[in-house]
Amino acid sequence: MQLIVNIVVLASIYALIACGYVLIYRVSRVLNLAHGELMMLGGYLLVMTASMFSGNPLAAIAAAVVLSLVVGVLVYVLLMRKMAGEMVLAAVLTTVALGVLLRGLMLLIWSAQQQYPAEALALSNPALILPGGGRISTFAAAIVFANAFAYGALFLFLQFGRWGVRMRAAGQNPLFAAQRGINLHAVYALAWGLSTLTGSIAGMLIALDSGLTSSMSVIGLKAFPVALVGGLDSLLGALLGAGIVAAAEILSIQYIDPLLSDVVPFLVLIVALVVRPWGLFGTREELDRV
Amino acid sequence: MRLSIITAAALVAGVSGSALAQDAYVVGITAALTGPPASTYAPAVEALRIYVDRLNASGGINGKKIKLVIEDDSAQPSKAAANAKKLLSEDSPVLLLNASLSSTYAPVIAEAKNARVPLMFSSSVCPKDVYPPAQEGEFCTTAFAATYDSRAALSFVKESAKEPVKIGFAAMAIPLSRGEIDFAESQAPELGMTAVDKEIIPPPTADYTPFATKINEAGANWVFSWAPWVTEVRTFEALRRLGWSGDYVTWAHLEAEDELKRIKDPKLYVIGANALFEDALPVQKDIAEAVKQAGGKYPADEMTEGWIAGMVLEAALKGAGADATPAKVQASMQNLKVDLKGLRGGPIEWTKDNHFRTKQYYRVYRWDGSKVALVKNWFFYDVK
Amino acid sequence: MSRNTPRASGYFRTSYAQDFALIQTRFERTALAVFVIALAVFPFLATVFYLDLACQVFLAAVGALSLMLLTGYAGQISLGHAGLIAAGAFTVGILFREFAAPFWLTLPVAAAVGAILGLIFGLPSLRLRGLYLAISTLALYFIVVYVGGEYESTRGFSTGIMVDPPKIGAFALKNARAWYFVLLAAAAATLLICANLLRSRTGRAWRAIRAHEIVAEALGIGVAGYKLSAFVISSAMASVAGALFAYYRGFVSVEAFSLFLSIQYIAMIIIGGMGSLLGALLGALFVTLFPYLIEAVLMKLPNAQSYAGALFAVDYASFGLVMILFLVLEPLGLVGIWRRLQNYFVLWPFKYRPVAGGRK
Repeated sequence: MQLIVNIVVLASIYALIACGYVLIYRVSRVLNLAHGELMMLGGYLLVMTASMFSGNPLAAIAAAVVLSLVVGVLVYVLLMRKMAGEMVLAAVLTTVALGVLLRGLMLLIWSAQQQYPAEALALSNPALILPGGGRISTFAAAIVFANAFAYGALFLFLQFGRWGVRMRAAGQNPLFAAQRGINLHAVYALAWGLSTLTGSIAGMLIALDSGLTSSMSVIGLKAFPVALVGGLDSLLGALLGAGIVAAAEILSIQYIDPLLSDVVPFLVLIVALVVRPWGLFGTREELDRV
Repeated sequence: MRLSIITAAALVAGVSGSALAQDAYVVGITAALTGPPASTYAPAVEALRIYVDRLNASGGINGKKIKLVIEDDSAQPSKAAANAKKLLSEDSPVLLLNASLSSTYAPVIAEAKNARVPLMFSSSVCPKDVYPPAQEGEFCTTAFAATYDSRAALSFVKESAKEPVKIGFAAMAIPLSRGEIDFAESQAPELGMTAVDKEIIPPPTADYTPFATKINEAGANWVFSWAPWVTEVRTFEALRRLGWSGDYVTWAHLEAEDELKRIKDPKLYVIGANALFEDALPVQKDIAEAVKQAGGKYPADEMTEGWIAGMVLEAALKGAGADATPAKVQASMQNLKVDLKGLRGGPIEWTKDNHFRTKQYYRVYRWDGSKVALVKNWFFYDVK
Repeated sequence: MSRNTPRASGYFRTSYAQDFALIQTRFERTALAVFVIALAVFPFLATVFYLDLACQVFLAAVGALSLMLLTGYAGQISLGHAGLIAAGAFTVGILFREFAAPFWLTLPVAAAVGAILGLIFGLPSLRLRGLYLAISTLALYFIVVYVGGEYESTRGFSTGIMVDPPKIGAFALKNARAWYFVLLAAAAATLLICANLLRSRTGRAWRAIRAHEIVAEALGIGVAGYKLSAFVISSAMASVAGALFAYYRGFVSVEAFSLFLSIQYIAMIIIGGMGSLLGALLGALFVTLFPYLIEAVLMKLPNAQSYAGALFAVDYASFGLVMILFLVLEPLGLVGIWRRLQNYFVLWPFKYRPVAGGRK
């Protein structure tokens, strides 16, 4: 039972991070390799707002969430907008450079010390006992719910929301979408904002659950194979991919060799690339489009 | 074009800026001030700097001041090698210090050996060469010691346990931690303990629960962990969240004292070679005062390691006399005994064969419900 | 076939050999001679610190040239370059520790290991392009580093594998000046190999594949074979760079080959300018010296010692910033800047090149 709980928690973490990759890729065909750093930034923003609103955890969290949305939009407006229309590789390398820049800035501002926002907000993290004997910490449960909520909201938004439909249109064919009057820059900015938002929420919850270290961005990199295995432009694929990778990782820790857990996401990645490069639910044309 | 002019200007400026300081002891330091492991080494270097500044303010040693030349290597071996080359060729130090990750050792040791300048490791793990029979030019003041730490911890577990011990181990997936835990695992049966599980945890893990699950399900009632603090503490917290109620003994890193106060768990034991500030020794008050005056960035209770390095440095240079050369400093260090005023269980004593210390002392602390309390007072091992 | 450098009038090529020659005008010959003399004299004027910097630049140049061949000319993106360098270094370390192999054995074996790995890295390129290829190389990097780390732990080399300097008879290569010349020779040899490869059929095939793969296939170029050859050759070179790195530093440890190293090599070819060997060299020079420049600038500020702790962060941040600036503002890199400068001086007082075509 505990095993299943662990898999669900890890899968939720990966899925929440992966949906950020998928959002941006689906809408603008750019691979955002700075997502890990943006996720870490969410955690640090929470630390910052925790010291500003020290009595009021809800206000601190809400402020951090709003700030992360703003950061995502700003990243697009200030930087990625200039790369729109350029070679995809150039845009991806720009995100790599952005990740390096963000990492340096975060180290500069907050230093390498470990942060504990849960302490700062006076929130406790008791373990909940589940029927069946498994245990889960409060914030880990929060991650699971946040993930479900995020995916549900995104599905509904993309399917029925006005801007959601515009995002899907821009993703399918930017030229026609622009000719129909859809403001591509606005759509891309919204995609970046939402992606940073979900990533930051993941980062904040992880920081609340077990603390914030300055090397947390590597988790973002481990979540990347999840997006790929499911199909870089499919949210449902990301969810399933997260389940597969998390299960592989935890089962290999339990039964094979704990050390493999670091490499397992990338082994799954290679298998997927060899067998079905466009992912479980991705569109096959993706391969030739890049 | 502009870029190459700027480069040339910077290079020229760099060359002209290194004037030889004739009237001071020059000590070169290559340290991981930045980079992922910085939180272990940067406070120690800061403490050393504060110590030396204070010493210089009160007149220095043998009438000369000490000049510290600190270079950051970000725990990168190539930068450490470049730092060592630069320090040795341009600053002519009488002593070189390494406060960085073990992967930086090889090039720095080679450079120091070539230049015949003694090399001291402070806050960085002691290499094999300082244990008897010791290599000529290498010395170490760092608290933690491979194999002795495990022996001390396991003997503590044996005498504190009230029932047969089923012990689990947690290491980080770096060679040093793994090696130590492997050794501990091999020692456990000799002490009558059953080793039920060993977890090797990769550094960038999102969730420590799966590893804790295995330890919990293996039925361990004691767990020993020897790794960077982040692995030690997160494994412990994950175990507690799973409802595990056993005893956890782990190495006391710099952050340990503050963390004990944060976690407030009476079954978390930290074993270390340095006295914690809870003891309120006069020398610790001294340190706190000095840190406050100097406006240091790190809390005073993380300064012990660097302070000890400062005390040893002072003694070594004093013994070398006013007209010190690297050879004289090395000779002085080969016959050194420094009283640490209670910061460790005993003095640091170096002989020709032993550049580590003749006796390695340990203490165990825990949170007793209201404060950090001593569980076991100084006990030692002879270092052979 | 020749480079499109603007030349003063009155220069004619009257034979194929002249057309193919690497150094064509008298001006180029003199410039090269001056440069070679400067390089030869440098080690006798410089301190050990600057000699070490120069050696680092040469090592980086070998790696950058190999990546430029793969990404700049053949158009195959690789994010796993650090893995190939690590592979070469670990080959040397393992062969030295296990079999006490001498350098004339380890270097070719490292090249062979690199070639085999290149084959493995290259196989996904047959099915995938662009981003997907980059991702597969990233995955392979993690696996190489994992295997290296496992070797280190299981064989007990927690603090890294020490390697003795290469020996010929009684002469061991330890002197800094000797290393300078050895590495200079290695970099020059790599440059020559790359230049000649690019002038040959293989180079032309690579350029065609990069320009438009389907058309290249239609023209009869065996795309799969040439793609694999790009990976194999580039990886073999990168492995040799790693092997030299291992001998120069005297030890091998997995921490030295982080993901940031891969990013640095990519930065070298971007900042240098894609599709140009000179770009690889300039990029290697820039990226290697950059942290020392930042440090020098930071140390000149007042109250320098208190900033020492932030050096790494400033380094990182400014490196990312510079990369972004080059990508956004100067996609042609340092070479683009250099060529514009050249054009300015050669064409002065005219502003524009008389014939359309060639580079912007």
